[in-house]
Amino acid sequence: MASVPPLDRAGPEIRDQLDVMALREQFPVLAREVHGKPLVYFDNAATVQRPLAVIEAMDDFYRRYNANVHRGVHQLSVEASEAFEQAREDVRRFLNAASEREIVFTRGTTEAINLVANSYLAPRLQPGDEILVTHMEHHANIVPWQMLCERTGAVLKVAPINQRGELLLDGLAEAISERTRLIGVVHVSNALGTVNPVAEICALAARQGIPVLVDGAQATPHEVVDVQALGCDFYCLSAHKMYGPTGIGALWTREALLEQMPPWQGGGEMINRVSFEGTSYNDIPHRFEAGTPNISGAIGLAAAIRWLEETGLERMKAHEQRLLDFATQAMSAVEGLTIIGQAADKGPVISFTLDGVHPNDLGTIIDHHGVALRTGHHCAMPVMQFFGVPATARVSFAAYNLHSEIEVFLNGLEQARQMLA
Amino acid sequence: MAIEHLYQDIILDHNRCPHNRRRLPGATHSARGQDASCGDDLLFELRVADGRVLEAAFSGDACAVTQASASLLTQWLPGRAVDEVGLGLKHFRTLLDEPDLPGNEMLGALGQLQPVGRFPARRRNALLPWRTAVKALTRGAGPAG
Repeated sequence: MASVPPLDRAGPEIRDQLDVMALREQFPVLAREVHGKPLVYFDNAATVQRPLAVIEAMDDFYRRYNANVHRGVHQLSVEASEAFEQAREDVRRFLNAASEREIVFTRGTTEAINLVANSYLAPRLQPGDEILVTHMEHHANIVPWQMLCERTGAVLKVAPINQRGELLLDGLAEAISERTRLIGVVHVSNALGTVNPVAEICALAARQGIPVLVDGAQATPHEVVDVQALGCDFYCLSAHKMYGPTGIGALWTREALLEQMPPWQGGGEMINRVSFEGTSYNDIPHRFEAGTPNISGAIGLAAAIRWLEETGLERMKAHEQRLLDFATQAMSAVEGLTIIGQAADKGPVISFTLDGVHPNDLGTIIDHHGVALRTGHHCAMPVMQFFGVPATARVSFAAYNLHSEIEVFLNGLEQARQMLA
Repeated sequence: MAIEHLYQDIILDHNRCPHNRRRLPGATHSARGQDASCGDDLLFELRVADGRVLEAAFSGDACAVTQASASLLTQWLPGRAVDEVGLGLKHFRTLLDEPDLPGNEMLGALGQLQPVGRFPARRRNALLPWRTAVKALTRGAGPAG
């Protein structure tokens, strides 16, 4: 079964909706073999593969118009600056933000959250104030707040989840107090797949005047995000989760909030005028982008956004949900296999354990079937602690994955079970 | 490299029926060894007298490679002078780094773990029990931490 050709066996009606085989042609890496088997890439929640549109856009920048931005009057600098600022506009459109002035480029979601912690929240915190997160957060939406609590005497509180891996909205409401200064919530959990009711959470928080930060790293490759409709105050994304390059992401926040926030890193680009007597800072969003930015990264991110818009997020999501349903059903029939995270509303992520087989061994055995999956704690150790497991294995799907690839994976699972269980 | 090169009988057997996987009453030295990224979490305990290891045991949760390595190590350690253990670790590292060279005879049955060296992502698992044992012995008698 491991040599099954990568043909989608889902039927013509599905291919009409999203031409998966044509889509796959746009991803050069999918043509390679691993350990003599066709690559089956199921580690998309860690980082997704890049289409030619992204690779070529970045290549084109370096070949034709590489220059620093906002610096020179020369033609290359003008072209690079235009492409960089166009990328900001593309992010604005993608998130339906009101203005491109509300988009700050960062290294990714992690840096965006750290920016909010240090620039927005730190000056507002008093000892005893509270920051509220959920039990299913990625470490990126826990540790920056913990560090801030250590510095300020604030307290980190945690909203509970249930055994299905769903956030308890009542529990969240109960955890809010008059000292709550910010709520941090993941849009789609990387460890469980849970899609959180972000709009409801934002409405709840807004009634009490509490700002909400949304970690959107896992949502943007699968969901149409409209920050104004969600009603959140901060939205963070990473390009490499949404078919773009590593090392770039963005923070969205309201213009009025951003105007109030002091710079958090000093350097070039973020200044207006510098002298040894004092320095005045640049306008938003440049005030938050010290140093030469990741220009090729922004161009790659913009290409990824245009690619997502052209391919159609809704069509991609429909295909991914069919893969999720097929895999969930097939895996549920495997003896000794437990799926961790069974929320009613799930992204295409399946965390699981297999009795008698440590995730690490499972990962190695399945790798020899050509299947890349993630094993470990998925940077969400509190989730592992909640479910009482040291680690899980995780498969996560992208729009280019096939039903036949899930069958290859299931064969690998069976071999692991026979060898070790 | 076929997967069977990694999961040979030595690893499968010690994974299914590990030796000395238990708490060690009267332990004089202990340390916890964790590999956060893969989920291994071991408590390694030793009973030492007059500069010599009398007994070793491990407990916790670990993958097959770590568990087999820990099981074999607890069989290798009794009777060894504490000073020898660091040298043992050095030879074991070389064993994994140089999978084509014959391993040092000092390692005994542990030499059968040499194929792990051909799986770069898994070397750390074979080394974890060793590093934990050395940590326990280096920092002297006391509770694990």
